[in-house]
Amino acid sequence: MTIESRTAETDRPAVLRDNAEVAAALGRRYDAGFVTDIETDSLPPGLSEDIVRQLSALKGEPEWMTEWRLKAYRHWLTMPAPHWAKLNIGAIDFQAISYYASPKNRPKSLDEVDPKLLETYDKLGVPLHERAKLAGVAVDAVFDSVSVGTTFRKELAEAGVIFCSMSEAIKEHPELVQKYLGSVVPVGDNYFAALNSAVFSDGSFVFIPKGVRCPMELSTYFRINAGHTGQFERTLIIAEEGAYVSYLEGCTAPMRDENQLHAAVVELVALEQANIKYSTVQNWYPGDEEGRGGIYNFVTKRGDCRGDDSKISWTQVETGSAITWKYPSCVLRGDRSVGEFYSVALTHHRQQADTGTKMIHIGKGTKSKIVSKGISAGRSSNSYRGLVKVEKGAEGARNYTQCDSLLIGKKCGAHTFPYMEVKNPSAIIEHEATTSKISDDQLFYCLSRGISEEDAVSMIVDGFCKQVFRELPMEFAVEAKKLLEVSLEGAVG
Amino acid sequence: MSQSPASLPFIDGLRDAAGLRLPGSGLAWLDAARRENLEAFIAAGLPDTRTEAWKYTALRALGQRRFALGDAAAASHSIDTHALKLPGVDGPRLVFVNGVFRADLSRLETLPPGLTLQPLSQALESDPEPLRFALSRHYRETGDAFARLNAALAGDGTVLRVAAGARIAKPVHICFVGTAAQGDVAWHVRNVIELGEGAKLDLIEHHLSSAPHKHLGTLASDIVLQNGAQLQHVLLQNAGEDSSLIRRGSLHLGARSQAALHVLELGGALVRHDLHAELRGDEARLDTRGVFVLRGRQHIDTQLSIRHQALNTASESIWRGVADERSRGVFRGAIVVAEGADGADASLSNKNLLLSALAEIDTKPELEIYADEVKAAHGATVGQLDERALFYLRSRGLPQAEARALLTAAFCRAVFATLPNETLRDHFSDALLAHLP
Repeated sequence: MTIESRTAETDRPAVLRDNAEVAAALGRRYDAGFVTDIETDSLPPGLSEDIVRQLSALKGEPEWMTEWRLKAYRHWLTMPAPHWAKLNIGAIDFQAISYYASPKNRPKSLDEVDPKLLETYDKLGVPLHERAKLAGVAVDAVFDSVSVGTTFRKELAEAGVIFCSMSEAIKEHPELVQKYLGSVVPVGDNYFAALNSAVFSDGSFVFIPKGVRCPMELSTYFRINAGHTGQFERTLIIAEEGAYVSYLEGCTAPMRDENQLHAAVVELVALEQANIKYSTVQNWYPGDEEGRGGIYNFVTKRGDCRGDDSKISWTQVETGSAITWKYPSCVLRGDRSVGEFYSVALTHHRQQADTGTKMIHIGKGTKSKIVSKGISAGRSSNSYRGLVKVEKGAEGARNYTQCDSLLIGKKCGAHTFPYMEVKNPSAIIEHEATTSKISDDQLFYCLSRGISEEDAVSMIVDGFCKQVFRELPMEFAVEAKKLLEVSLEGAVG
Repeated sequence: MSQSPASLPFIDGLRDAAGLRLPGSGLAWLDAARRENLEAFIAAGLPDTRTEAWKYTALRALGQRRFALGDAAAASHSIDTHALKLPGVDGPRLVFVNGVFRADLSRLETLPPGLTLQPLSQALESDPEPLRFALSRHYRETGDAFARLNAALAGDGTVLRVAAGARIAKPVHICFVGTAAQGDVAWHVRNVIELGEGAKLDLIEHHLSSAPHKHLGTLASDIVLQNGAQLQHVLLQNAGEDSSLIRRGSLHLGARSQAALHVLELGGALVRHDLHAELRGDEARLDTRGVFVLRGRQHIDTQLSIRHQALNTASESIWRGVADERSRGVFRGAIVVAEGADGADASLSNKNLLLSALAEIDTKPELEIYADEVKAAHGATVGQLDERALFYLRSRGLPQAEARALLTAAFCRAVFATLPNETLRDHFSDALLAHLP
C-alpha cells in the first residue's frame, strides 16, 4: 500500500497541471521518437535458407542451432498466414525485411558502449550504468539485435542465476538451451513462432537454479532502431524447483514511417513450486493519426507450469504498436499450479489490438485468474480473445475471468471473444465482461471540482486500470500510468 | 475449408434434388433461387470445424449418411392427435408430419379476425408474390450451409400474417411431428411470419416424435415485427432422440416492437439452433430465455446473434445448459452494437451445469461494440451442483437421484419465470423433470 500512495504523490502535480501545460502536452509528439545514428552491420533484405545459414554463421552458432533454425524455416514455408483475428493487416513482404542488424562497434564492457547509445537509453529513462545500481535493476539491453551491455552479472552469478543474452547462452550453456528451447513453443507452433525460430537474432536467457530466489528484478529494454529490420527476439526463462524470478520487459521504438514487424517468442518454464512473474510495458510506435507506420507486434508468449504447485503470472500494459496480436498463455500441467493474466490494452487513432490469454488446465486443482481492461479511443479496435480450457483430468480446476472495456469516442470498437471449453464436471469456470463509456456522472463530478476534462479522463482511466497496475513492479507502474496519459492525449473533446 | 463434397453420401443423396417437383415449382424466380442455393450448397458441402460457426459441432458423421428427399407417405402416417395437445394452448394449430402439412390434424377452421394462417405449400399455389422477397434470399456465409439447403428444398411451412393493430388472443400452435418412414428422411420447412404495426401474437413451436426415426429436419423461420408489434414466441423441442434438427431463425424488430423467446430443448441427437436477431427500429426490445438439458450422447449447439442497430434498444438473454452422461452442450451468444446505436442496453447470461465426467460444455459469449453510449455486459459460468445443497436435501431423506433432479430443475426454472402462460409454464417444468435422468 505504501508503494501505491507514493506513486500517487509523485504524480499529483501532473494530474493537476495548469491549462497552458495541457495545451503544450497536446501538441507533443511521440516522446521516444528519435533515431540514433550509428552504423549498423546488416544482412541484406530477404529470406531464404542461405540467409538463415548466414545469420547463424554471423552469430557463430554451433551446428545443432543452425539445423534447428533450418527445420523451423522449412516448416514455416509450409504454413499459411493466419487470418482469424479481428485485425486488418496489410500484406507483409518477408523478402523486404533485413533479418539481422547489429551495432558495428561491439562493446566489451559498459564503458565501451557507444555514448550515443547510452544517450538513447538515457532519453528513454533506462537505468543503465550507475543509475542501474541506484534503481536496483539489472538490465540486459537489446539495441536492435545484439546485447550491448549486461550489468549486475556478478551479483547474479553469486546467487547462481544465469542472466545473459540468448547468443551467449547458446555458446555457454548449450545443454540448458537444447533442453528447454522450443519445449514450450515448438518450432511449428504457429506462423510467426516458426518464423521467429528460424531467424531470431537475440533475446534474453534466464536460469534460476533450484531453491534460489532471484536477488533482484531482471529487466530488458528492447529497442527497434534501424529501419527495415524486423525484430525477432527469443526469450527463455527457466525457474527450477522452488525458484522465484520477476522479469520486466519494456519496449519503445523511435518513429519510423513504414510498418515494422516484431515477431517475438517468449518461453517460460516453471518446475515444482517455482514462481515466475513476467511484466511487460509495450510502447512501440503506434503509427500516426491516419494509421500510417507503426509496429506490427505479433508475439507468442507461453508459460509452462510443468511442476506441481508452480505459478506463472503475466502482467502486460499495451499502449503502443499499430497492430498488437498476442496471447500470453499458461499451460497448467502440474497439480495445483496457478496461472494469472493481468492486462491493460489501450488503442487510439487507428491502432488495432487483438489480445488476451489462454489458460489450459491439465493438472488437478489448477487455478487461473484473468483480469483484462481494454480502452479504445479514436478510430481504434480493441478485442479481448481468450480461451479457458479444462481437460478431463483437471479435477477441481477453477477459473475466474473479468474483462472490462471502456469506450472513448463514437468511432472505436471494443470486442470480447472468450472461449470456454470444459470437460471436467468438478471445474468451476466464471466469466464476466462489461462494456461502457466513461460515466458522465464521474466526469461531471471532476469537472465541477475544477479538474480539466483531459485530467479527469486520465484519472478515471487510471482508476479503471488500478487492478492491473497493482500487479506491476513500482517503476513500471509509474511508467505505465504516464504512458496511458500520453497515449490518451487528444482522445476527448 | 470443407470436406470434399462430391464423395460424401450426404451430398450424393442430393443428386436428383434438382429435378424434384416441389410446391411452387414453375415460378421462375423461385426455381432460380432454389437452383442457385442448391448449387451453392453442393459446391461448398458441409462446413467443418475450422469454420468458426461450427467449431464445436462436427458434421462428419452426418456427412456419411444418406437421406431420402422427403417422405412420400407423409400424408398417410397415423398420428395420435392427443399427443399434439399442449395444456393451456387451444388456438389454431398447424401440423406437419415429416415436414409435410397435414390438414386432417390441423385446426384452421375458425381463425380470429386479422390473422392469416396457411401452409406454405398452399400459399405458393394461390398467391406466391408476397413470398418472393423472403424466398429468393441467398446465403453467403460459409457457416450458412443448411440455410442454403433449406432454401433449395423447402416446399412447405407456415405463412402467418397478423394485420396491423390486430391482437390475437389465443396462441397459434405449430407442430412438427417426426415419425418412422421408409428409411431416413430429410425434410425442409420454411416459416414466413409477419406482425403488422401494433399487432400482437403468441406463437408456440412444438417439435415432437410419434415413432422412433433418424430423420434430419431443417427449419428456417423469417419473423418480421413491424413498429410496435409484440410477439411471445415459445419453443418446446422434444424431437425424437435419434433425430437431427437444424433450426435457423431470423428476427427483425421494428421501432418500439417487443419480442420474447422462451426455449426448452430436450430432444434430438444432433440439434442446432441459430437465431439472428436484428433490432432495427428505435426502442425495440428482445428478451430471450432458454435452457437445454442433455443426456445420453446428445449434442446441442445454440448460437445467438443479437444486433443492436437503432437508438435506445434493449436485449436481455438468460440461458442455461445442463449436460449429463456423454452429452455435449455448445452455446455462443454474440451481442453486436452497431455504430450509432446509442443508448443500447444489452446483457447476456449463460450458466451451465456439467454433471458427468464424460460430458462437455463449450460456451462463448461475445461482445462486439461500435458505439459508446452503451451498457453491455455478459457473464458465463460452468460448474456443478452445490454439494452443500445436495447434502442438505439428502439429510432430509431425499434419495441422491431425486435430490439432483430437484436442484437441476431449480437451476433451469429461472428461465421460465417470465413465461406468461402459467399452465404452459407448469407443463415445461414437468417436461423438464421427466427428461432428467
